[in-house]
Amino acid sequence: MKISLGCDHIVTDIKIRISDYLKEKGHTVLDMGTYDFTRTHYPIYGRKVAEAVASGKADRGIVVCGTGVGITVAANKVPGSRAVLARDTTTATYAVEELNANIIGLGGKITGEHLIYSIIDGFLEAKYRSTPENEAILKKLNAREEEVYCQMSDQGLFDEFLVKWNNGEYQD
Amino acid sequence: MKIVLGSDQDGLVLKDKIKSYLRELGYESLDKTEFGGEDFLESTKLVANEIMEDEEMVGVLFDGYGVGSFIAANKIKGMIAAEVSDERSAKMTRDHNHTKIITIGSKIVGEELAKSCVKAFVQSKYSGGRHQIRVDMLNKML
Repeated sequence: MKISLGCDHIVTDIKIRISDYLKEKGHTVLDMGTYDFTRTHYPIYGRKVAEAVASGKADRGIVVCGTGVGITVAANKVPGSRAVLARDTTTATYAVEELNANIIGLGGKITGEHLIYSIIDGFLEAKYRSTPENEAILKKLNAREEEVYCQMSDQGLFDEFLVKWNNGEYQD
Repeated sequence: MKIVLGSDQDGLVLKDKIKSYLRELGYESLDKTEFGGEDFLESTKLVANEIMEDEEMVGVLFDGYGVGSFIAANKIKGMIAAEVSDERSAKMTRDHNHTKIITIGSKIVGEELAKSCVKAFVQSKYSGGRHQIRVDMLNKML
């Protein structure tokens, strides 16, 4: 499979381990960043991973941040994505089989390395079961997205905030 | 602070247990799906509509795996929801992600852990600062 992979600066080392694990299993990895530990912002990478999946450049996506929440929320805010946050393999499998999930989110500081691999295996091995019930739910879910303004080609979507960040306007 | 609760049929029993627990803790709650919603899309919509504009409200959604409500809630513009099955994430996500809703899967998370996650979430507080740029980015998206 072709897998788009992304993380924030908190878990870049874990992302690289996941990348190696996927390659060992014969997958092709599209690493969307971030590539170092320099402070950055998880929505940038959650969005990139999800857009690669939604546009068909990748078959599935994997996103990682500290708890997994932020980057998985960002991935879900791309039309066409269905991103599950998982700390166990059962949830990952369910999400693909019943909800046709195409992205998995992991908490790199919450879930240990071996469990992460098991969750990824479950996610990649699972197949969507098309039943009338599942189709009805997905149809309702997708109906909401069709109302949404298409943000996918907008490269400068976050620029106004990055300008403010660089001006020191976001202070702890 | 008011805690708004919702569930589909799978999450109904756990939702009722958490409702009693919140009463014991002294929190005010509002149950949007007393008999359980038709599906997680309905319960998510009911809770999200209630809390969307109100900074003093947070939501907790229950379904089978936590996933359906998590995806549905985050597909709503301006909503930030976290699927949780541990207390640390429940606490941190409100603090860092300005999370308005947590979702819990009743087939995955047992009663005691669910209580503990809800408690960690409602007692946490958003810290803003550097985290706000990420929240601004999320809110600019879908």
